[in-house]
Amino acid sequence: MPARAAEDLAERLEAIPGARGPTLVLGGGALHRVLDARPALRERLAPVFTADPCAALGDIACDPERLPIAEAAFGVAVSPLLLHWCNDLPGALVQLRRALKPDGVFLGAAFGAETLRELRTVLLEAELEETGGASARIAPFGVVQDYAHLLQRAGFALPATDRELVTVRYRDPTRLFSDSRAMGETSALRERGKPLTRNILARALDLYAQRYAEADGRVRATFELIVMTGWAPAPTQPKPLRPGAAQSRLADALKTTERSAGEKAGQ
Amino acid sequence: MSDAIELDPKLLEVLVCPRSRTPLRYDREKQELISDAARLAYPIRDGVPILWEEEARELGAEE
Repeated sequence: MPARAAEDLAERLEAIPGARGPTLVLGGGALHRVLDARPALRERLAPVFTADPCAALGDIACDPERLPIAEAAFGVAVSPLLLHWCNDLPGALVQLRRALKPDGVFLGAAFGAETLRELRTVLLEAELEETGGASARIAPFGVVQDYAHLLQRAGFALPATDRELVTVRYRDPTRLFSDSRAMGETSALRERGKPLTRNILARALDLYAQRYAEADGRVRATFELIVMTGWAPAPTQPKPLRPGAAQSRLADALKTTERSAGEKAGQ
Repeated sequence: MSDAIELDPKLLEVLVCPRSRTPLRYDREKQELISDAARLAYPIRDGVPILWEEEARELGAEE
């Protein structure tokens, strides 16, 4: 998934010729490998600095919610699969916007609410069966509309979000856990409630295999990838006109006669 | 630290102290980034500035 998200972001950056470095990458790793395969894009985005919570993954180690970045320092900000970790996503987005020069572009990928819906369902059911109660096992992810709204609230111009559902097929459900762990994506919830017992887990894996197996015995897992795009505001950007500022009449463009709202058609 | 990795001056230009949001001063000898405004020194490990407040050292009166 991280490679897929990075690939997606790089393709979008290739399609935005105005995107020029310096570039801030929030959340290290996958994007660098993707850029290595795209020397022209890498050159356009250079210099590329990576900020990550973990020192081993970045050029700077920092809290993504307290970016140690000067204002208007970057032409591009990219965040592959880190933002769904933030407790204060609106705050993190505002800081990214501030780090951008006017007309600088932000591209971010995050997991959406549909992510791991199969696992959520079976864990919930298994826990209910075993204990008569349930606790949150997978951190909640935002839905696509939330992210769109947040971009706007963070002051980005021309905000856009879109989503893609990606189905990954695993040989058996336990692979999904080892894969999540390899991505560093095990649950970030602080209050996880009662520990997951062996019985619940075994029951959940059974349910998973029963319900989501395909003809060849592999099981599927859904990931929802949300990609956000927004620009730091600049006077040169297209803006909606004031109401009543139109220079030509809609009726002329449609080659029809304008009627006031009170008149009935055909009279 | 004689084998210290030199910090990229372009990187230093864009960094600020996460607490005070003011520019940082590079101490090559100690391999630290100093925030005079917040009176904090952030460590640089293997060439990577660690700009977590929790990791910073408070500056002494003489520094």
